[in-house]
Amino acid sequence: MGNSSSFMVDVQDVHKRFGSLEVLRGVSLQVTKGEVLVLIGPSGSGKSTLLRCVNHLEKIDAGHIYIDGQLLGYREVNGRLIEEPEARVARVRATIGIVFQRFNLFPHLTALGNVIEAPIHVRGLPRQRAIEEGIRVLEKVGLADKMNVYPSQLSGGQQQRVAIARVLAMQPKLMLFDEPTSALDPELVGEVLEVMRELAGEGMTMVVVSHEMGFAREVADRMALMDGGQILEEGPPLQFFEAAQHERTRTFLSKIL
Amino acid sequence: MEIFLSIRFDGSAVSEFFFNGVILRGVRTTLEVTILAMLLGAVLGIILAVMRVSHSRPMAGFSGFYVWFMRGTPVLIQLLVVHNGIPQMVGSRDFTLFLTPFRSALITFSLNEAAYMAEIVRAGIQAIEPGQMDAAKSLGMTNLQAMRRVILPQALRVVIPPAGNEFIAMLKNTSIAFAAGLVELTNAARLIYAANLKVMELLVVASIWYLIMTTAFSVLQAEMEARLTIVERERAIPLTTRVLRALGGGRER
Repeated sequence: MGNSSSFMVDVQDVHKRFGSLEVLRGVSLQVTKGEVLVLIGPSGSGKSTLLRCVNHLEKIDAGHIYIDGQLLGYREVNGRLIEEPEARVARVRATIGIVFQRFNLFPHLTALGNVIEAPIHVRGLPRQRAIEEGIRVLEKVGLADKMNVYPSQLSGGQQQRVAIARVLAMQPKLMLFDEPTSALDPELVGEVLEVMRELAGEGMTMVVVSHEMGFAREVADRMALMDGGQILEEGPPLQFFEAAQHERTRTFLSKIL
Repeated sequence: MEIFLSIRFDGSAVSEFFFNGVILRGVRTTLEVTILAMLLGAVLGIILAVMRVSHSRPMAGFSGFYVWFMRGTPVLIQLLVVHNGIPQMVGSRDFTLFLTPFRSALITFSLNEAAYMAEIVRAGIQAIEPGQMDAAKSLGMTNLQAMRRVILPQALRVVIPPAGNEFIAMLKNTSIAFAAGLVELTNAARLIYAANLKVMELLVVASIWYLIMTTAFSVLQAEMEARLTIVERERAIPLTTRVLRALGGGRER
């Protein structure tokens, strides 16, 4: 059971417990470079936890996670796993972007301020270059004219697009989306999905937890259903929507479609 | 009835002593101790707060103990310990001379204030949504970077009102430093009335000076709060309204 460098994300038999509750019960999943995987499932199935384990915001209790061929969070020394120091993990996290359901923008900084913060302090870019790249990335999500505006003055859809821009400014090789549109008013969902669609079209490797079935059908290369901390079914969107193999998949889809 | 017909109060003494040299030096000493102790206390308090929320048990434990102890004993006792108690135990003449009334007061008030600031800053840090830390770490920041760039800047905005109240409380608490022989404002008044027996008049002088200092500071605090609040509406709140709000808030310790 080694690592495989053709996969961007290689999750092998991962277990995760919160207290006495086992939230991830032996999850295995692979995502190739450039692939868009949409993860669906009922609440409490462990989808968000899995995403948070992939960028080591949560530590796993068992199993291995490889990001672009590198073991995440641990170093193998003489057959034993030793925890990586925090600075190393931080560097890996910088190459993985995550977009949260509640945006989590920094309220004390403007849109541009949010976007350039990490490039300056984590990537070490000089301020002027960070600003230039920041403006470019805000243009990409269509919000360059809002660069000096504070998050509290932006709509939900705009905030989420700034959050995406903030992640893009770090030039990640992988992007994780944790229900990116679930907290948005319906009419604002489209603008965010549009940005995500473009990113997918440009070849970004994406793992998206979402209920947006339209998006899944059009953009996903593969889908997976999680329930009770396990992956029950995996396959191309067509399989999910037309010929789901697992009964739970059909039940779940019938409830939300 | 007769008592009220002949109140012995010499209003002219109030104006006579208002700008008295000893009084003015007392005002200056009060301000010096307060400002320096607040600065040192704030810095130490921030460190203690970060320790308190850290995952390291010894750090969190020490910080918790320090706060409990320093908030649980009267400042006056702490002052007497620093100025008299510890020199007694150390037994060195040089050490005793080193601890001038000013230094003893500064050390005591800094250490004491640190405990209160630690709790205020800790509450500020914990008031910040966990999502902020998640976002900062996801962008590749270490815990310390996240604290410095994301958490503390937000926490400190929350902290300004209670911290401002602490400053005002300390301005008045410095009056107990007379127990260490410091000639701050209250002691200055006492020294003068011990000589001329115009007790009430001098106390009125001191009170007016305290009021001037606390009010000036409240105005400053209101300005700072207004500047640091992210403007959500276009209309600015007039200065007088801000001041009245700031004066209305605040608790006595």
